Amino acid sequence: MDELLSEFVAETRESLEALANIVVALESDPSDRALLDELFRFFHTVKGSCGFLDLPRFERLSHAAEDVLAEIRSGDGEPDSDTISAVLAIMDRIADLCSVIEHGEALSDEDDQALIDALRRESGATEAPDIEERPGAPADHPVARATGNGAAPAAPSVAAFAAPAASAEPAAGQGRDANRDADPEAGDDAAVRAPTVARTIRLPILLIDQLMNGVSDMVLARNELARKLRGGTADPELENAFERLSSCIADMRDTISRTRMQRVDRLFMAIPRMVRDLGRDLGKKIEVVIEGGDVEMDREMIEMVVDPLTHIVRNSIDHGIETPAERRAAGKPDAGLLRVSASQSGSQIVIEVSDDGRGVDKDAVAARVVASGIMSAADVARLDAQERLDLIFLPGLSTASRVTAVSGRGVGMDVVRANVERIGGVIALTSEPGRGLTVTLRVPLTLTIIPGLILGAGGLNFAFPRSAVIEILHDSNPAVSVDRLGGGLTATIRGTRYSMIDLEDVIGRPKEERPGPRTLMLVRSASGRPYILGVSQVENHEELVIRPAAPVVMSAGIYAGMTLPDNGHPMLLLDAGGIAQAAHLPLIAETVDALLPQQAEPENAEDQYSGLRFIDLDGVERVIRLALVDRVEDVPVGNFGRVADRSYVTIGGEVIVCAQSVEIAADGAGMAEVTCLRVRDDAREICYPVRSVIDIGTVPERLDIVLRQQLVAGVVVIDGRRIEVIDGLALLALADETGRGGLRPTRCVIADGEDRWNRDILAPLLHQAGYQVVWGAASADEGEPDFGDNAILLLTSGKEGDAVRAGGGPGVDGSESAVPVVRLRRSSVPDGPDDRSIYRYDRVALLDALSALEAPRGEARRGAA
Amino acid sequence: MSELYLFATIGGERVAFRTTEIEAVVKLRELTPVPGAPRYVAGLSALRSRVLTIINAAEIISARFSCDAGRSCPDCVRQGLVCHAIVCEISGHSYGLLVNGLEDIRMVDSPPMPVCGRLDPAWQPHVRGVIENEGQSYFILSVATFLGGGFAQAA
Repeated sequence: MDELLSEFVAETRESLEALANIVVALESDPSDRALLDELFRFFHTVKGSCGFLDLPRFERLSHAAEDVLAEIRSGDGEPDSDTISAVLAIMDRIADLCSVIEHGEALSDEDDQALIDALRRESGATEAPDIEERPGAPADHPVARATGNGAAPAAPSVAAFAAPAASAEPAAGQGRDANRDADPEAGDDAAVRAPTVARTIRLPILLIDQLMNGVSDMVLARNELARKLRGGTADPELENAFERLSSCIADMRDTISRTRMQRVDRLFMAIPRMVRDLGRDLGKKIEVVIEGGDVEMDREMIEMVVDPLTHIVRNSIDHGIETPAERRAAGKPDAGLLRVSASQSGSQIVIEVSDDGRGVDKDAVAARVVASGIMSAADVARLDAQERLDLIFLPGLSTASRVTAVSGRGVGMDVVRANVERIGGVIALTSEPGRGLTVTLRVPLTLTIIPGLILGAGGLNFAFPRSAVIEILHDSNPAVSVDRLGGGLTATIRGTRYSMIDLEDVIGRPKEERPGPRTLMLVRSASGRPYILGVSQVENHEELVIRPAAPVVMSAGIYAGMTLPDNGHPMLLLDAGGIAQAAHLPLIAETVDALLPQQAEPENAEDQYSGLRFIDLDGVERVIRLALVDRVEDVPVGNFGRVADRSYVTIGGEVIVCAQSVEIAADGAGMAEVTCLRVRDDAREICYPVRSVIDIGTVPERLDIVLRQQLVAGVVVIDGRRIEVIDGLALLALADETGRGGLRPTRCVIADGEDRWNRDILAPLLHQAGYQVVWGAASADEGEPDFGDNAILLLTSGKEGDAVRAGGGPGVDGSESAVPVVRLRRSSVPDGPDDRSIYRYDRVALLDALSALEAPRGEARRGAA
Repeated sequence: MSELYLFATIGGERVAFRTTEIEAVVKLRELTPVPGAPRYVAGLSALRSRVLTIINAAEIISARFSCDAGRSCPDCVRQGLVCHAIVCEISGHSYGLLVNGLEDIRMVDSPPMPVCGRLDPAWQPHVRGVIENEGQSYFILSVATFLGGGFAQAA
């Protein structure tokens, strides 16, 4: 059932419940206009929405009721008890239909007409037009489609779904009886049938927000407790309990964030209709393909994306897709294709709108930019193809040669981009002239939690959305030069000049005196060109829960919200675009080397990737794919260590495998801090200590020499220098070997938590192997404990009581048990030929048995039996 | 008609708030400055998991009545000088109204009286009436209008 329909059903049910009383009240006081109006509005709404949803039966019923009520409103009729009964019968029928839609069954429509006739008879109304014209309309298609094979229509009686009418019992009697007559035996049938759809309730968002706040409170309290615990003496029992509390809180936080999620369907729902209407207005034929509607994102985010998406779709239809005649001339099919898709990529949602229209004429855009005086012809001539395409985002530019009714001239792509960037998103264009345009929106999953950087400036800390940062450099980097001219700052990075502003100047605070280089951040701004923001340092990065700031705070124009990090000190989230505006930065970048004769452009940009060049500990220059590097961090030498011939480093309380030992470094002894590249894929992480980081640059995909040796994949030549390329696979494979590859999803339930051997020998072994350990005894009082889907029960003593206590049930030998069971025995020799238990010191056999049970559930059960 | 009032001082003047408007009164321990915001925004403060926007009430009335500590509120608070804020929620945002002195919470039986005498024009728009407590009169202020309407006038 699609979401729109289920929302309609939920709303209708809610209104029905509220209205049942009103109808009865109306009967006792027929003169009450307000009640009458309310009832009328209900039918009117139902009629309106079901026309849209293509539910003709709802429409007929509500239309009939609306007509009768309209007459009463106009004074031509009287809401006597018979009329009210008839209205109630209609309401009951609507409730039935709601259930039918929910359950995907068919409901005979034979007696709809009888209800309507009854209603008219009772009200003595004149023939309502329009209804009689299509009596006995075929069972409407949502229902028909749901059954598909034309199953015998079973009419669930009102009795089973009487909630709405229950309070209106006396008055409703008549209508209900009539219904029951129509299908006498259906009542029991419906009562027995269990609801098959997932049950849902509707909640005010406010309540969810309060819940979310409550959980945040818990997290803060937890952190405080953690600090207190660290101070005192270590008590393993207490720490265990605390760990459990922590993981419960983390789970809860996750669950609550999920309640805010909604399917992207909702965002896409309006598109087909809009495309159809627009296409008709413009005389274009357009096919719409929508994909990935089941991707979920924050409901607030969905609201924020609606406008930009609508604008992009309108643009595609208006400017992109040609008229059928033009398309024929271009050798394309008459109907244009508009494809809207959503997919999740990491913590981002990628929404793509692509058409097969004429694409964007880069040169026309460039000409328009020059004509409107935004940039000079010389400047424009220096831009490469992509930059020329991106000119479309400049404010005050519209490529439409005329103002059309559809796209108008008011808002351009600059506003779309500003809106997308305001929510931490990125917009990108790919145009193939004559073949179509693809607009890609990348937006964070949720508005409320964003990856952020914590900056220091003027003695204060601020949060900054990481999505707005392109690059972070120290001003001591040789690739950067900062110029002061007439009070204004300009920074040149690798030949490109950018406007620069120090954050301290924006917030009007003195710069802090501190040793070490300042940090420059290359930042995207909503209004066009990136700029450089100077701060005293970037301290940390963190997932931040963002909340709206009060209007007075927002009035400063440089903030996007506020956040409360786990340390409990509120922090403001800076707005990159706002800072640029507040500082009145002229956001123009020019390329110095564009003045030099252009080098022949590489044939295909896809053959290059951006890489991070660094000097390795052994003094050799190497390069690593930038996308693999999560971040670069300076770590004190003391944090490095070796265990059994492997290197480890402790960063932020976590122990991470080190790709190489820092002692290799010839000057290792002299260094206080080692620069570390933290390399990670989606699951595992490894730390790669280096001597220093040089720069980011493009690296050709093709190796000049393939030379696979340890961590090196080969050698490329960049600017005449040979640079060794790090093999990402080999590097991350190192992380894998150590078994620190993240937790397995399977939980091992140890039945007897009081047994010392279980606690001190078995549990550590399981932890080591990556399993979560749950104690069975703890759940004893809670009746049937729920171990979840991926649990394995471990029994260590022969006592049956263990099994019962752990919830395994009497059929503990595997066949009937809810969870697979592994039995351990104390003796190294099996009890007999039927003894399938495992000797408890046989580590290999135990781990083998566990991983065999880790297989998908069905197989696991068979394996256990 | 008896009502519960909170008595405090703002910029040296005695004021009273109806407690029905007030969620809580908190002692401020730390303030995060908000550079770029109007002067009367003293900073941000955390109340459990909520973030309060702290408004310096005296500053809204007029810079002349401002607290005479001679320091910015965040500095003042950092040095351990006790400052109290009246917590309330207005259109979804949580605020703390900074008052200079906190005197009492007391039930007052007599109804509010109209304002007599010529008021300082800075106070004029904010005063709702006058109430007597233990022989002294206090201005009645409304937190909501102070924070809601006050901004526009002060800004």
